[in-house]
Amino acid sequence: MPDFNPVDYAVPGFILLVLLEMAWAWKRAPEKYESRDTLTSLALGTGSTIAGALTGGLLIAAFVWLYKFRLLDIGWQWWAWALCFVLDDLAYYWFHRMAHRVRWFWASHVNHHSSQHYNLSTALRQTWTGFIAVSFLFRLPLALIGFHPAMIAFCGGINLIYQFWFHTEAIDKCPRWFEAVMNTPSHHRVHHATNPRYLDRNYAGVFIVWDRMFGTFAPEVDGERIRYGIVKQLGSFNLLWAVFHEWIGIATDVWRAPWRHKLSYVWREPGWTHDGSRDTSDMIRARWLERQTDGARLAGE
Amino acid sequence: MTTELLKLAGSLAAILLIFLVALKLRLGGDIRLRSEAEARELADHAVCGFDAVDVALDRAGIGALLRDRQGRVMLLRRHGAHFASRLLDGHADTRLDHNFLTIGTGERRFGSVTLDLGAEAQVWASSLRHLGSVHA
Repeated sequence: MPDFNPVDYAVPGFILLVLLEMAWAWKRAPEKYESRDTLTSLALGTGSTIAGALTGGLLIAAFVWLYKFRLLDIGWQWWAWALCFVLDDLAYYWFHRMAHRVRWFWASHVNHHSSQHYNLSTALRQTWTGFIAVSFLFRLPLALIGFHPAMIAFCGGINLIYQFWFHTEAIDKCPRWFEAVMNTPSHHRVHHATNPRYLDRNYAGVFIVWDRMFGTFAPEVDGERIRYGIVKQLGSFNLLWAVFHEWIGIATDVWRAPWRHKLSYVWREPGWTHDGSRDTSDMIRARWLERQTDGARLAGE
Repeated sequence: MTTELLKLAGSLAAILLIFLVALKLRLGGDIRLRSEAEARELADHAVCGFDAVDVALDRAGIGALLRDRQGRVMLLRRHGAHFASRLLDGHADTRLDHNFLTIGTGERRFGSVTLDLGAEAQVWASSLRHLGSVHA
């Protein structure tokens, strides 16, 4: 299998763009960056690359093995690349949606969300434990359909590179046609927000159309300040805590839970508890909506 | 293998460079709580529906204690260029030293914070002693 990873070639560009955005922050909004937060994000990114290198061989073997049982011989035509890219992005949408709705996947993905900042360094804040979380499962069907593993890997790399640039507050809105089809800084700010109206919205990787199709789209509302991070902010820049805190949380909850609830702490949504002592994103949104309704009713009286 | 190690060395050098640039440019600034209203807003965002009826701001603005109608107490403290919060469920880690109240959360990573609450420190220290019984 060809050994070519487009992300390797993009890394110098990532670094340059982070430095440019830092210069922008210095001039316009120094609070958009924080040195320790940036250090944690970049260390998470580097660790993720190392973890990827360690488990990459196993992943390739799994894809190549499954490819032997492919349903179609799609080959290397130009349209196959385009189709693979679109289907890979669809697979990414479902992976990403599950990564927010199933705690096992969230334990790995939470790393990307645990910064209270939203800047280009946040984009590099990637997981170390994706392999343990079996996140690759969502892309495996592409090999079974008949897309060559090298093509899937290339498309996945381009997808990842695309997702870098929109982790910024330096860009407001893009042209309307672009906002309608593509994922943009505005759409993805919503995704990283902890504002109740935005929780679990805009899962798209490249094409925002998936969220519009599957009912998970929310537009960025002008005038409402976005707060980033996770519902229970880490309050720590400790790198290992950032990597493993949710895994430790799962282990603790499973250990303490009554037998019949143990597995639910693994596969239910983040925040779920058998005694209702914590909030899920649905509970937070419902409470917020109730307050909006009450507020509107009082204003009308 | 050599190529991989070179890539790793390059990444580490880039991380160091970016970190040093962020330090040099003093990015992040010196974030402080400016008013009770700001503390209330942050608390409501941290726990949707937390309607603070009682607020004690640290004199330097590095944190705050807030109580809502249900008797829940929230600790807000500075975390980098933002604030992070925890609902307190006990007073075991609380220590009073004149105007300074040190509050722990029981979470090692979140740590404890010492707030300068002025004359209010004693009142809050006293009320925090009842915290365990409120939630019991």
